[in-house]
Amino acid sequence: MSAGQAVVAVRQLSKWYGQVCALNDLTVAIPAGVTGLLGPNGAGKSTLMKLITGQLRPSQGEVRVLGQAVWGNPDLFLRVGYCPEQDAFYEEMTGLAWVRMLAELSGLPAGEAETAARRALALLDLGDAAGRPIGSYSKGMRQRVKLAQAIAHEPDLLVLDEPLLGLDPLGRRAVMTLIRAWGRDGRSIIVSSHVLHEVEALTSTIVLIDRGRVLAEGDVHQIRALIDRRPHTVRIRAGNVRELASWLAADEGVRSVRFEQGAITVETAAPDALYARVTALAAEGRVADVTEVTSPDDNLQAVFRYLVEP
Amino acid sequence: MAPRTPPPPGRAVRLIFDLSLGRMLWSSRSLFTALLAAAPLVLALAGRVLSTGGVAFAGSSGPADGLTSFGVLIMLVYARFVVPVAAVVLGTSIMADEVEGRTLTYLFARPVPRWAVLAGKYLAYLVCTALLVLPTVTVLYFALVPLASVGATFGLLLADLLALALGIAVYGAVFALAGARLRRPVVFGFLFVFGWEQVALLLPGTVNRVTVAGYLEALIPHDPPGSSGLFGLGQLVGDKPGVPEAVLCLLVVHAVCLWLATLAVARREYVE
Repeated sequence: MSAGQAVVAVRQLSKWYGQVCALNDLTVAIPAGVTGLLGPNGAGKSTLMKLITGQLRPSQGEVRVLGQAVWGNPDLFLRVGYCPEQDAFYEEMTGLAWVRMLAELSGLPAGEAETAARRALALLDLGDAAGRPIGSYSKGMRQRVKLAQAIAHEPDLLVLDEPLLGLDPLGRRAVMTLIRAWGRDGRSIIVSSHVLHEVEALTSTIVLIDRGRVLAEGDVHQIRALIDRRPHTVRIRAGNVRELASWLAADEGVRSVRFEQGAITVETAAPDALYARVTALAAEGRVADVTEVTSPDDNLQAVFRYLVEP
Repeated sequence: MAPRTPPPPGRAVRLIFDLSLGRMLWSSRSLFTALLAAAPLVLALAGRVLSTGGVAFAGSSGPADGLTSFGVLIMLVYARFVVPVAAVVLGTSIMADEVEGRTLTYLFARPVPRWAVLAGKYLAYLVCTALLVLPTVTVLYFALVPLASVGATFGLLLADLLALALGIAVYGAVFALAGARLRRPVVFGFLFVFGWEQVALLLPGTVNRVTVAGYLEALIPHDPPGSSGLFGLGQLVGDKPGVPEAVLCLLVVHAVCLWLATLAVARREYVE
């Protein structure tokens, strides 16, 4: 993905808070469509989103959104919607009044803002609660009304910081359905999360960041290929694990074998060869009662862990 | 369909004003300001009940007549204390409330220039503070000045109201700047009002020209009651500016502070 095609192009971006470096020389091009921004707490996801939405100014480097510089360019927000992470509201306002007011500030005439606010609230199952003060909303409703203000003016790019945080299953489903539908409509969405299966359910395009640096970006499958170069963990439960361990320990690629209750956990740089070897030993009858061959590396969580861990 | 033109600046200011005025009027800061502004009125009424000739003030030779009492309250209590304190309490909150409430993000993520956000909130401050202070002053006037004297002295009330309104505006601009630039603007505000201004007004020469209070007092059309006490001392040593100079200087301070505040708001990062 070239920076020219990207909805968000970040080049050599650094952000310091005093002596603390939140983002360090980060370069990434986020394509159109739905992109998951993944990383543990403190990775720099929220800082990057605040830079993308012009809340923060880069200490160094450049952020361009939809081809334009962000800092000091409020007109850009005609096309951008932002759902921040913080649980902060004008508590005394009703959900409808709040979303309508922000829609008007986004450039919609008063009448259209009312319609747009009602539509956004209905999309997030808040139609019945629209006339209630936000202060009376549950945590999930607060999260959804925050999302409603981001979508009411129908922006081209949505930036959602942990939008699924605190949602109950129904709310989560409503939000995920909305994000997928917006993606299908050709809009772009950047959604951050530290819960990987949530993002996996939304998109296969991800950017992994940790400690202010991009660890990997692109399709999940491409990122999976990256970890093939790194040691895998395979857990094997069998009858004679001590013998099995002695055979496997001599194999090329095996780095360590750890004993557990009736099982061994093998760390190997050649997982395919290990699977073939175990299959062969079982077929030859040299290993009895192989009841489990599993790898915790088969999900996105493991991809993330592999890339984050030193 | 997404809008493709931002709201006109005037409309953006109006929307921010509407949003901010209601929130500011019903805040605990406003309640405090209302009590502060009403306290002299309550005391004056109580004094009037207790005294047949008017309200007795410490340092004066005896009971003062109604208009003199009103003038003293305007100069000593409203211009020196109520207006500056109200401005510290409400003016510093113009941006600080949104920052502390972490709601500024929603406003800064709109196609609205940051100066419009400041302008809307500053106008809300002006209206809110004026509504809390000026009606009390008017009631105080009618409570203290005999009805027979109203016709002859009503112009003084109007001049007082205009001077206090200008004071609200200028102090508000100073503390809006403080709120836009500083992390603890209230501390700065009280140091400015009760530290710098009180000291500067007591110093000889033209030092009072680097205070807001010095110019504000020049606009208040009441003669000081004698020369005793802190107030009288300030009048003796200070070189009082003329009305045109005072108005001009206050307008310049107002404009410069608001301009600097807009620059600060445009450049400052309000989130971490």
